[in-house]
Amino acid sequence: MKDPSSLSLCRDDSWGGVADDVGANWADRDRPNSCVGFPLDSPREPSHDSPAKWGVSALLDVRPVLFINGFVLLILAVAMGVPAVVDAATDGADWPVFTAAAAAAAFLGGALMFGAKPTARFRLDIRQSLLVTVTSWLLVALAAAPPFAFSTLGLSATDSVFEAMSGLTTTGATVIVGLDHAPSGILLWRALLNWLGGAGFIVMAAAILPVLRIGGMQIFRMEAGDKADRVRPRVSQLAVAVTAVYAGLTALSAVAFWLAGMDDFDAVCHAMAALSTGGFSTSDASLAHWGSAVQWVAVASMVVAAAPLPLLVAPWRRGHPPLSEDSQLQAYLTLLVSAAAVLGVWRWATSDWELADSLRAAAFTVTSTATTTGFVAADIGPWGGFAHVVLFILAFTGGCSGSAAGGVKIFRWQVLTQLAEVHIKRLLHPHGVFVIDFNRRILPEPVVDAVLAFVVLYMVTFAVHALALTAAGCDLVTALSGSAAALGNVGRGLGGIIGSTGSWKPLSDAAKWIATFEMLVGRLELFTVFVLFTPSYWRE
Amino acid sequence: MLDFRPVLQIVGWLLVGLAAAMLIPAAVDLAAGSPEWAVFALSAGLTLFVGLALEAGMRSGWRRLSVRQTYLATALCWVVPCAFAALPFAFGKPQLAVTDALFEAICGLTTTNASVLAGLDHLPPGLLLWRGLLQWLGGAGTLAMAVAVLPALRVGGMQMFRIEMLMGGDKAAPRATRLATTLGSIYAGLTLAVGLLLWLAGMPGFDALVHAMATVSTGGFSTWDSSIGHFDNVRIDLVVTLGMVASGMPFLVFAQAAQGNVRALWRDAQLRWYFAILAAATVAMTLWLIFGLHYEFRTALRHGAFTVASAMTGTGFSTIDYSYWNGLPTALLLFTALLGGCAGSTTGGIKIFRLQLLLAGAMVQMRRLLRPHAVVIARFNRRQIPKEALEAVMGFVFVYALAFAALAMGLGLLGLDFVTSVSGAVGALTNFGPGLGPVIGPAGSFAVLSDPAKWLLGAGMLFGRLEMFPLLVLFIPGFWKQ
Repeated sequence: MKDPSSLSLCRDDSWGGVADDVGANWADRDRPNSCVGFPLDSPREPSHDSPAKWGVSALLDVRPVLFINGFVLLILAVAMGVPAVVDAATDGADWPVFTAAAAAAAFLGGALMFGAKPTARFRLDIRQSLLVTVTSWLLVALAAAPPFAFSTLGLSATDSVFEAMSGLTTTGATVIVGLDHAPSGILLWRALLNWLGGAGFIVMAAAILPVLRIGGMQIFRMEAGDKADRVRPRVSQLAVAVTAVYAGLTALSAVAFWLAGMDDFDAVCHAMAALSTGGFSTSDASLAHWGSAVQWVAVASMVVAAAPLPLLVAPWRRGHPPLSEDSQLQAYLTLLVSAAAVLGVWRWATSDWELADSLRAAAFTVTSTATTTGFVAADIGPWGGFAHVVLFILAFTGGCSGSAAGGVKIFRWQVLTQLAEVHIKRLLHPHGVFVIDFNRRILPEPVVDAVLAFVVLYMVTFAVHALALTAAGCDLVTALSGSAAALGNVGRGLGGIIGSTGSWKPLSDAAKWIATFEMLVGRLELFTVFVLFTPSYWRE
Repeated sequence: MLDFRPVLQIVGWLLVGLAAAMLIPAAVDLAAGSPEWAVFALSAGLTLFVGLALEAGMRSGWRRLSVRQTYLATALCWVVPCAFAALPFAFGKPQLAVTDALFEAICGLTTTNASVLAGLDHLPPGLLLWRGLLQWLGGAGTLAMAVAVLPALRVGGMQMFRIEMLMGGDKAAPRATRLATTLGSIYAGLTLAVGLLLWLAGMPGFDALVHAMATVSTGGFSTWDSSIGHFDNVRIDLVVTLGMVASGMPFLVFAQAAQGNVRALWRDAQLRWYFAILAAATVAMTLWLIFGLHYEFRTALRHGAFTVASAMTGTGFSTIDYSYWNGLPTALLLFTALLGGCAGSTTGGIKIFRLQLLLAGAMVQMRRLLRPHAVVIARFNRRQIPKEALEAVMGFVFVYALAFAALAMGLGLLGLDFVTSVSGAVGALTNFGPGLGPVIGPAGSFAVLSDPAKWLLGAGMLFGRLEMFPLLVLFIPGFWKQ
């Protein structure tokens, strides 16, 4: 088993930037394992292409990018068939719209796939990987929008794209009022968008972001277990396994919803929206429409949804600390429980609510915000300033990495907390040596730097978009909370407009576009998008 | 064991200085025939007694302060004078309660414009002068700390401004006394210039003096309830705006400029950003005033520039009441106040250089995404940013964000609404002062807040003024062990 060559390859997940898996640069070019393979295959299999083919060339080769985009569009077209069938079965009037939209997406997807069909197997370099990630999310959001525009809802172009982007990024900010009477095809399509978006992000977080080393995500490459001293499991296996867990959990959640008293259609829709931390509901009142049993099921689903899913994949837990010892999971659960308890007691003390009701509503609201889902069980408008401040802050924490949750993510806050501690220690002991660790492993400097840069960019993006939203006519509370809700993919803000009882419908078109962009940026973990705006991306 | 004696001795000297400062309002009140002079004389006597007692009792021979002693001295030098500066407010005509008097003194010394005093128009001149003087002294303390103490302690990335680095490595570092003289004369000179210009612009002499002190220290205490708006004079507005902008600049740049190195003004990256952000925010604010409130262009520019400068430098003067504004201008005020002015000035907030450092670090990360093996170096002012500085800045910003969150949550817990809590926390931490909304907006007053809220805000102001860490380390168990 101790084949030296394979061992040395295993070793290159020394996430320090000494060796990396995506290499577009000259030093890496004769190392075929240093690329994101597509179709997902073993990264250690030698390539048969000459280096020049897979593009360290001066020009960006967009054909593989287009090819993959076509493939993703085909998946979307297939997914559109589901609401079409459901709509037809329930005598809805929208099934032709879905069929037509699916046909259009399939046509476009097929055209891209055949038009840009690579002649041989190909691999993506860094720049292509970044471009694929951004363009595929963008394209899918655009292709998912027509059903909203042409169905009986008749949304405007802005609203349709907003709704589709909100669904796909698992934000759950809606511009549709009157969901209780909306056709079931549309309702299913919204839930399905949430679910697909969640799946897409999980795959991305498991397979692409760690390799691209976005925002310190490279530490999760090690989650694939180099400690066990065996051949690293292939990225594709991990992605498939996590998706399977995701699907299984969704089914489980749907059954639980159904047992708690939802009808089967609503149960499926809410399970998809909960596990993806999306938050689209089938009722204007969201989960407040149902009883407390359903709400507790929703709380449980959301808690699981924002937990690190890769840890639930059995084969990858070998050689790893058990689930209960994962520091991110511990911090996440501590945060949820303490915030829910404090807020529940606060509500109980400042109103005439029963303690049980206060705790349930607080647990629900805290979970919904911190996991970036955006379901609503109670109107938090009258809860007072304290609750609003707490929820505003929770919108930034986000869930765990490795889930579909958005936000900054717990592990980054853990790293930052340690950074602050190190600074304090260093003030007292200027010559001491201090390290930052995560799950009992010392974090190398590049990871810390990447986390740091991510959080900086997150805050700046938040501030810039909040300013832009006010310039587009939003009031202060709407702009601040809306910017946080869109960037963190939460979907619910504070105040009378986008708060727990409102929707994003009254906002101006400009504000909706700003929020749409922000949702995409937040979902793709900022760097993926912003890097495309740097001159050095296009140079070379 | 930590030796407290040298620390307390320094505090004693400071109290003696404070007692001397108290004699000025006493003299003014005496001259104006106000019976309040006795209050100041009494307070001065008390302060002098304690100061001398500390100075004499804690004599231990002169030695260099250790790192921990320096932290303790820095923290105590702010906290203790606040208690004594509060005496005139408690004993004098306003008859403030303990909490209110302390709050007012903390506001003054931390150069925050969050007053609990109402009816300034009818206060005796001595007390008004005392408020201005407190801010001026607080501004001087801020400056001394920002130039001499924090860079040496390497707090929050301030090591970028160590004197050796600023003056270039080749020259020998100027001696501390020379530095202090230079800075002191710049500070005093700027105050005199602003006072003179205000007087020329039509302000009465006494008001001009107090406002000059409050401007250059970016404190913002006025002698009138309606702040600068009371005068409704374009020239006064202009002078105060320029004064505030100048006070947000690094003071050592003035020294360089005075030595004929005018290019230093332009070569400083922090200054360029400072002016660019000021200009952009002013344009946005002016446009909003024109299109949102239908101001005339000149009026809009006048008030827009004033309000932006007041927020960004954390001064807190106001010419118009923005309590009921919403949307763009309020967000602008909030974010510019958070950002603050340049390091090495009397302003509060996060400071521009920290944003620059962090963005430079983020840009390096972005380039590293594309070229994982390239050697990319983050730079600031044409110098490489040391790794430790970048991490220190991030540690600072994170603690700042935590403090903001804790403060805002605490204020919410005490029953304030979202906007008041959030803007109050920003106002206190950045030493800006007024918040948004009707309660603590420019037309409101902090007097209506509950006592716990005032204590929270007061603590926030001190933490903000001391750049978090000198106060924070005292709460670390490791500080006291050893």
